[in-house]
This record gives sequence, structure tokens and C-alpha cells, in this order.
Amino acid sequence: MAYVAIADRDHHLHDPDTFITKYIWSQDHKVIAIQYGVVAIGVGLVALALSLLMRLQIGFPDVFTFLTPYNYYQYVTTHGMIMVIYLLTALFLGGFGNYLIPLMCGARDMVFPYMNMLSFWVYLLSVIVLIASFFVPGGATGAGWTLYPPQAILEGTPGADWGILLMLVSLAIFIVAFTMGGLNYVTTVLQARCRGMTLMRMPLSVWGIFVATILGLLAFPALFVAAIMMVLDRMIGTSFFMPALLSLGETTATTGGSPILFQHLFWFFGHPEVYIVALPAFGIVSDLLSTHARKNIFGYRMMIWAIVAIGALSFVVWAHHMYVSGMNPYFGFFFATTTLIIAVPTAIKVYNWVLTLWRGDIHLNLPMLWAIGFIFTFIHGGLTGLFLGNVTVDLPLSDTYFVVGHFHMVMGVSPVMVLFGAIYHWFPKITGRMANDALGKIHFWMTFLGTYAIYLPMHYIGILGMPRRYYDYGQTDFIPESALGVNQGITIAAIVVATAQLIFLINVAWSLWKGKHADSNPWRATTLEWQTPDTPPKHGNWGPKLPEVYRWAYDYSVPGDDADFIPQNHPIQPGEESLRVAGESRK
Amino acid sequence: MMTGLAIGLVLGVTVWWILIQRLRDKPWERQGVIEGSQDGLTSSAPKVGLWVFMAMVTSLFLIFNGAYVMRMGFGHGELMGWVPVDEPGILWLNTFVLVAASGAMQTATGAVRKGDLSALRTWFTAGGVLSVVFLAGQLLAWQQLAATGQYGVSNPAYTFFILLTAIHGLHLVGGLVVLGRTAARVWRGLDTENVVAVGKIGQTVRLCTTYWHFLLLVWLGLFTQLSIS
Repeated sequence: MAYVAIADRDHHLHDPDTFITKYIWSQDHKVIAIQYGVVAIGVGLVALALSLLMRLQIGFPDVFTFLTPYNYYQYVTTHGMIMVIYLLTALFLGGFGNYLIPLMCGARDMVFPYMNMLSFWVYLLSVIVLIASFFVPGGATGAGWTLYPPQAILEGTPGADWGILLMLVSLAIFIVAFTMGGLNYVTTVLQARCRGMTLMRMPLSVWGIFVATILGLLAFPALFVAAIMMVLDRMIGTSFFMPALLSLGETTATTGGSPILFQHLFWFFGHPEVYIVALPAFGIVSDLLSTHARKNIFGYRMMIWAIVAIGALSFVVWAHHMYVSGMNPYFGFFFATTTLIIAVPTAIKVYNWVLTLWRGDIHLNLPMLWAIGFIFTFIHGGLTGLFLGNVTVDLPLSDTYFVVGHFHMVMGVSPVMVLFGAIYHWFPKITGRMANDALGKIHFWMTFLGTYAIYLPMHYIGILGMPRRYYDYGQTDFIPESALGVNQGITIAAIVVATAQLIFLINVAWSLWKGKHADSNPWRATTLEWQTPDTPPKHGNWGPKLPEVYRWAYDYSVPGDDADFIPQNHPIQPGEESLRVAGESRK
Repeated sequence: MMTGLAIGLVLGVTVWWILIQRLRDKPWERQGVIEGSQDGLTSSAPKVGLWVFMAMVTSLFLIFNGAYVMRMGFGHGELMGWVPVDEPGILWLNTFVLVAASGAMQTATGAVRKGDLSALRTWFTAGGVLSVVFLAGQLLAWQQLAATGQYGVSNPAYTFFILLTAIHGLHLVGGLVVLGRTAARVWRGLDTENVVAVGKIGQTVRLCTTYWHFLLLVWLGLFTQLSIS
């Protein structure tokens, strides 16, 4: 059996003994997870700063003269790309995927630790290349995060010389890093689970990360293809995407290239990417809600079905990002239909989260606050998605702030809510100390209310018709004075929310240094990572013997049991079966 | 495009069927250690890793295929700068060489099974050499195309030809790195009686063979696709 092979491999397991092999060139999944996390959060702070610069310009045009249109578009582009790929994808899969998969599945490490280590360093390289684009002649690209050609590589667009190349190369490097990590996550889930851990006993966090990784492995090649072909268009003048056109008064040598082809490739990656970020968030939030409501997750099996269904459907909806690009009306109809069908499994998940809370023993501690916050922001972002999924509604709204409000709510704020919940939840396991509760609650309320103050008004000014992507609105008839006032309010809210993130950083630093020592299972959770012999878990995770799993991950408040939770590795007690049957019939 | 869709559909239905088999469990009812909890996936981790990787590469080439067909303009390519490429005849020879390489790898795997170490040495190395010959042949095809002087970089049929053969070749080069390292071990370490080492080499040889067959299939698909330009 495969798991025996992995378990017996203990003496083969790389054994770090120096500082460098332990913390820098480490092959330990926990160290790699922290490395991923630190870099992702670091580069995410850069993106946060960029968004503030953008907001300063939109809220108070003409005040900050150092913000030129040129810079503005560079900030827009880099902000979007970092947040979606280098922060969210990297932190969910490289960070939490790395930390949680082996611990939750009862493995000692990933199955290919060396490749896992390479994955992080290649990821770091991609981040360095991306940031370097700010320091080359012409600066970073300002093509918008979707990098649409022909404008992305034509003179006149910020960074058309070097910036765009570095961006594309950085993306290609990131995809290589993701592949190395992704092969690990999928293979570890399939091959290295401990005895008794069937697929249907895995916590939903692992399910979400697992399916998201499969989506990534199948979807990232589309971005890779697009990046290579655009590099060739830019470097040697091929005509994959570049049509015959006049640029600055001169005819280009390119003929017949298809900009729409790029859009198809980009969104064939881009839409699954939404779920690459969302599925791990769905999984993790399910575990947070169940643990902190002391109740088994409602509809576990349906949750998995929904994850798989959403993952499959995410490959047949991509063109709903392209309604305004022009397409055969039947295509529009097809993609609108598939898009709306995704609402079904998604709604199942939302109902199940709410029903998990129903009559639960809700502990409003930090992870729970963020998890409940996620339900709010996700429902709001999801509902506006139903608007935009329809072609006729999307056309007038597509280039307005309504869309900005929608996608920030659904794939910006919502996953970030889960990320913070997850960080506060696993902080005791990762560091051995509790995060500070008061600071965390201030952080939560400022972020939760603050993001509403930012994004709700955006829907309103979007319906007014305020176009997105503009540097300055100047004098227009259709934008009332009050809308400019709303923009000022949004900017102030954005500054407040950004400040709240400083509180988070202070909390992490302070708690690392002075936080209360955590015992091994402070949340009294059932999953395996809380049952390790040491906290934080040592190299190899489990001491001399791998755990064995006897039950699913959600035995909370089992009728007739004294404790309100039974860990997965807790053997079946005499008489438990009959109690369980009694509990079933009571339902 | 249609082939791509069909392959995608078949893959999707297969995965769906496998999932249905697995997702029927009611974990809250079944208690205790479930024997065989690895769900029948009893193959080794490197093997599963290779298959996952091949799934990803399949996705890469299917997406390239979609882009190729779209850029061909669905029959209106001549309006979009698409000048069909006359494939050099050497590609047939290259195809034959790659088939032979795949066959040599298969024979090497057979030698592993039989424990015939000298046959393993010969055929495994032959597989590598034939693959290098294939790559050289591809380079020659590039050269022949360039020498005609008929095709410019703005002709997507030509640039797709170079790009796709290059991507396929790079995947083969990646395989050759593994093959080279394994071949070195095969030549060096065969006289040892170390059963574990021999077992490990045997596994790598088997995985290389799988990968070679896979790249052969990719090439056959690619060749067909390039021929209908």
C-alpha cells in the first residue's frame, strides 16, 4: 500500500541539521508554507499601497501632482496582478496548501519535498522579476491587469518597452513555480494520506485546495500560452495577436492577428482563476464555521459535490468576461446560461454554511468573526454577479464601477476575509502562541465595515454610469458633483482599511513575541493538525508513529459524548455506534 | 478544435464517473479504520505525479490547438495573413525515429521486468539516442523551412509550426535530462546487488517509458494538426 511506503520512509526523510537547511533551503512543508506566506503578504502590501495611490488620485484629483496618468495605469495593472496571482493564489495554495495538506491528511511531508522547495524559490524569482519591472526604462506595464493586446505592446502604453515583457516573463515563471507546487499538492492528497483517511473523510479545507490545484494545473497553461505568444509578438514581430494597424502614424508589419484570441486564452485561465482562489476559501471557511459553531458541517457530501461541480463549470463560463468584446449572440446566451448555473452549487454552499450556524453553539472568536464576515461579503458579491452574468445587464454596466464593486467584493474582500480567519485560526498551531484577541477584533471590524464603505458606494456610482479605469473625470454632464463626493468618501474609507492592516501586522509581531502560549488544540478541533505531539509541529509532524483515522472530520457535539468534539484519530468507543444511531433518529 | 473538445469531453466524463464512484460514501456513518483507504490508488507517488503532469501538458497542447484553429480563422485564414506551410518531408522520418525511440523504451521496460540488465542498458540508451536524433531532425526541418525563404514571422502558420515543435521538443529535452541521469546510474550501478536501487531504477525506466509514449502521442496529434494548415 502506498501509505506504508511513505510512512516507512521516515529514515529516508531529508533531515535538516543546519540553520540553512532548516529555515532557508528547507524542504519541510511547514517552513515552505511560511516562506510562501511571508512573501505573498509582503508583495500584497505593495499592492495595497498601490491601491491607495490610485484612490488618492480618484478621490482628490489635482491634489497629488506626482500621480501622473502614466503612473496611475501602472499602479492599476500591478495592483490587480499582484492581488489575484502573487498574493491570493500563492497564499491559499502555496501557503495554506503547503501547511495544511500534509498535516490534515496525516502525512509527514509533501511527497516531493525537493520540488516543493524549488516551487517556493521559483515563486520568489517571479515576484522579484515583477517588482523589477518598476525599475526598468519605461517602468512597469500599464496595460491593465488583463494585458489586452494590441494596446499592451504598442508604443504609448506605459511600460510597452520592458514592463510588459517582465510582466509576461514573471507570469511564466510563476506558472512554473505553481506547477511544481501543484503536482505536490495533488499527489500528496492522492498518495500520502494516513491509514483510515479516506477521501470522504478529508476536511473540506483539503478538498477545496485539492480541487483548486487541479483547476490551476489545467487552466494556467492557457495563460502560459498567451504569455509566450505575446512575448513573441512583442519581441520578434509575430502576428498571433497583432492585427495590421497604424501605430503613431506608421503601419506595423503585423497582419491579421486576433486580439480576441488573446482574450479567449486569458479568460480561459482567468475565470478558473477566480475559483482557484475561491475554492480553498470555501473549504477553509467551512472548517472554521463548523469548528467554532461546535457543529458538524451541514451537508458535507453536498459540499464536496458543489466544490467539484463549481470547478468543472468554471471551465465553460470564461466568455462572460467578454460580452462587450462582441460575439455571436448564441455564444452570449450559452455563456450567460452556464454562468447562472454556477449559482446553483454556490447557493448550496451558502445555505449549508448558514445551516451549519443554525442552532449551533456559536463562539464569536476571531476566526469565526472573519468566517461570518465572509458569508456577508460573499453573498453581496455573488448577487451582483447574477446581474453581470446576463448579457443585457452586463453591457451597460461592464465598464463602470459596478464591476469594480462586484469583483472586489466577491474575489477580493471575500477570500481575504477567509485568509485572515485562517491566519487567526491556525496562528496557535503555526507559532505556538495565541494571537491577541482585542487587536484582532479591532482589525476585523475596521476591515469588515471599511470594505463595505469602499465597495457598496461603488455599485451606486457604477449604476450612475461612472466609467472605471479613468484617471480623471474632468467636467462631464452625466457625473453629478455628489458622485465625486462619494469618491472622496471611498478614498478615506480605503485609507482607514489600509491602516487596519497595520494593526494586523502589529498583532502578528506582538503575538509572536509576547502572545499567550497556546496548547496543542486551543479551539478543541477534530482535525488531525491539532493532534500533533508538538506545537508547532516538529519536522516529520507526527513523532515516531503516523496517526490513524477512525472517523470523519466533523464529530462536534456528538450526542451522548462528554466532550463536545471527538478528534479524527480517536478510536471508536464501546457503545458509540448505538449512541450515534440514537442521534441520527433524533434528527 | 473539435478533436480537442472531444478529448476534453471524454476526459471530463471519465473523471466524473470516477468521482461518482468515490463520492457516494457517507463518512458520518462509517466508523473505524477503513482498510484500503487509499481508494485503490495503490500506485506510487512518482507515477501519480507523472500522470498529473501529463494531464497538465495535455491541457497545454489542447489550448495551443484551440489557439491554432482560431488563428486559422475557421477557413478564412488567408484574410488573416495565414499562408499554409508546406511541411518538410523529413517530418515523416522524424516521426518514424520517435516511434522507434518509444519502442526502444518499451523494450527497456520489458528488460527491467525480466531482470535482463544488459538489454536494459542497450535499449534504454538506444531510446535516448533516437530521441536526440529526432530533435536533430526537427532542427533540420526548421532549417529547411527557413531556407525556402517563403515564410516570414508575420505568417502565423509558420510561427505556430516553430513554436509548437519547439514546445514539444523542450518537453522531450526535459525527459532526456531524467533519462540521462538514469542512464548514468544504469551504466554505473548495475553490478551492485542492491535490490532497492535496482527497483528504483526500474521504476524510473518505467516512468520514462510512459512519458515517451505520451510525447509520441502528443507529436502524432501535433503533426496531424500542423499538416492540416
